[in-house]
Amino acid sequence: MRRAGLRVRVTAGFAAGALTLSALMALVSYQITRGSLLNEREGTAVRAAYYDAAVVRAGLGSVAQPDVAAVLSSLDTGENRRAVLQRGGAWYASKADSGLRETIPAALQQTAGGGRAAVQRVRADGVPTLVVALPLADGDVFYEVDSLQELQHTLGVLTLVLTLVALGTAAIGAALGWYAARYVLRPLTRVVDAAEGIAAGRSDARLDPGGEPELARLSTSFNHMVDELSARNERDRRFAADVSHELRSPLQTLAAAASVLDKRRPQMDPRSATAAGLVTDELSRFQGLVNDLLELARSDRSADRAPVDVAELARQVCRERHTGADIVAVAGPSEVWLVDRRRIAQLLGNLLDNAEAYGGGATAIRLTLDEDRGTLEVDDEGPGVSPDDKPVIFDRFVRGRSAGARAGGDGAGLGLALVAQHAAAHGGTATVLDRPGGGARFRVELVGCRP
Amino acid sequence: MSAVLVIEDDDRIRLSLVLALEDEGYAVSGASTAEEGLASQRSRPADTVLVDLMLPGIDGFECIRQLRRTDDVPIVVISARDDTQDIVEALEAGADDYLVKPVAIKELTARLRALSRRARTIGTDPVPALRFGDLEVSPEAGEVRLHGAPVPVTRTEFQLLCELAEHPGRVLSRQQLLRRVWQYEGGDERLVDVHIGRLRQKIEDDSGSPRHLVTVRGLGYKLQR
Repeated sequence: MRRAGLRVRVTAGFAAGALTLSALMALVSYQITRGSLLNEREGTAVRAAYYDAAVVRAGLGSVAQPDVAAVLSSLDTGENRRAVLQRGGAWYASKADSGLRETIPAALQQTAGGGRAAVQRVRADGVPTLVVALPLADGDVFYEVDSLQELQHTLGVLTLVLTLVALGTAAIGAALGWYAARYVLRPLTRVVDAAEGIAAGRSDARLDPGGEPELARLSTSFNHMVDELSARNERDRRFAADVSHELRSPLQTLAAAASVLDKRRPQMDPRSATAAGLVTDELSRFQGLVNDLLELARSDRSADRAPVDVAELARQVCRERHTGADIVAVAGPSEVWLVDRRRIAQLLGNLLDNAEAYGGGATAIRLTLDEDRGTLEVDDEGPGVSPDDKPVIFDRFVRGRSAGARAGGDGAGLGLALVAQHAAAHGGTATVLDRPGGGARFRVELVGCRP
Repeated sequence: MSAVLVIEDDDRIRLSLVLALEDEGYAVSGASTAEEGLASQRSRPADTVLVDLMLPGIDGFECIRQLRRTDDVPIVVISARDDTQDIVEALEAGADDYLVKPVAIKELTARLRALSRRARTIGTDPVPALRFGDLEVSPEAGEVRLHGAPVPVTRTEFQLLCELAEHPGRVLSRQQLLRRVWQYEGGDERLVDVHIGRLRQKIEDDSGSPRHLVTVRGLGYKLQR
């Protein structure tokens, strides 16, 4: 799995931190508020119960045969409170509530029966309820059952508010983290831009070492690296140019001198004539080798694109090699592609030479333009390319081992390496496939070909 | 016998070129510096000049410029340098063709023949001057006039102009022009582009926005009124 980016991780960290902190704060606030509200509520309930108990005690004590129900009904208990009296084994309630007695837990009854006042929180029909038990004289016990529904509702609202606050804080934390990451990473973005610029060939891309103090060392070493790289590129380029000059100049002398020798071969004795012939032949092979090597040495050169009639170019390359131009087939909206004419001519020529040397000659050339992707295919009906050769066939100095090869050792194994290099200069690739029905199919794909 | 001047500082290359071209039937003289070559061309003008770019003293580019000031002789560069920059600069200086060393002698003589075609193959009927507004091209007289005044053009520039003038308003592709003027099959199109630029300097009032010699993008060039 791909690792999440630094920005994502910083943002997530800030969010998680903010969420943890705000959740903790919310929990503590909730607990404190709840405790204090409950205590307060309990105090109020107990005070009210004592007051009511006093009223009941007075009501019951004033007459010999008191009307218990009337006494209880006279209490001002409001909506939430309900009074219950246990008197001589009988239960009396202020309201005709069924099951009110069950609300009062046995343990509480026992405690109160023992003559001690007690308070207990219970749940009645799912509603939190407070039961206050106050023993009266003669074993009577006065209970008050107080519903805490309002408090419950208040606490519910509080929970909702605190949750929302915690989530909001987490969101703000995430936003802060995102901004901080962006702010901190901004200098890195500049490094990325500069590195991309260099990769794209802009050797003048540099970082401002006076920018961020923390990044001064990075900027300095980055600039140093780029300087070194440019210097090395320049050295390489100059070396290639020098090598080019130093190889081409003596070859020019040899070419001219060999032509003089060649002209006089009929007048030479047989041994000299053979030697002169060898010199001339080897010289042209050597020239080809030097040209290919010098071309390969300048892999950094970009394609010099212009609109080119590739169909016409392919036919011309065929004619130069005395191959029938009718094997060229073109498909797509345009026969004119935006390519480097010299490179494509050499690429096609090398593929045709390769087909000639190893596959008995090219049998088809297909040029297809699709969107801006140009595909060139050269087929032969020879023995094909063995699986061992396929991965290395576009490497330098690799020569085919196929049995049908009749190249004899003429090529140096640079032709297909140049094909791959020309394809790469057009942002494309070169591959070798099996032709359906036997033989090899070389496919070159180029991008940015739409004129 | 056609005379060729070889300006090349490398003694061995110069000697081998002299030998090989003499074998091909040319009268060849050699010069090891641009100064020597310029003096030789003044005293005994050759029909074609071969020049190397890297020369001691005056370099090849400057040598071409100085030759062009007084001479419309075909100039062929033979250089080991094949950077676009060098090629374009040499052509802009006035060279007619650019060959990268090593050049086969067969190829070199083919180039020399293509450039030294003096008389164009003209039919028996005299061809009248071709008019393109204020521009006048006389293929037979070998003359170009702008606003009635003669314009000095090199032989290659003239051939190029004639090819376009003989097909008024028709687009000729760079490859067609390379074939007809330089006798190249699949040659370097920069040759055409730089020559067109040089011609525009001479026959257009504003070479930046040409009226006669116009580019047809993706196709080639045409000459119009």
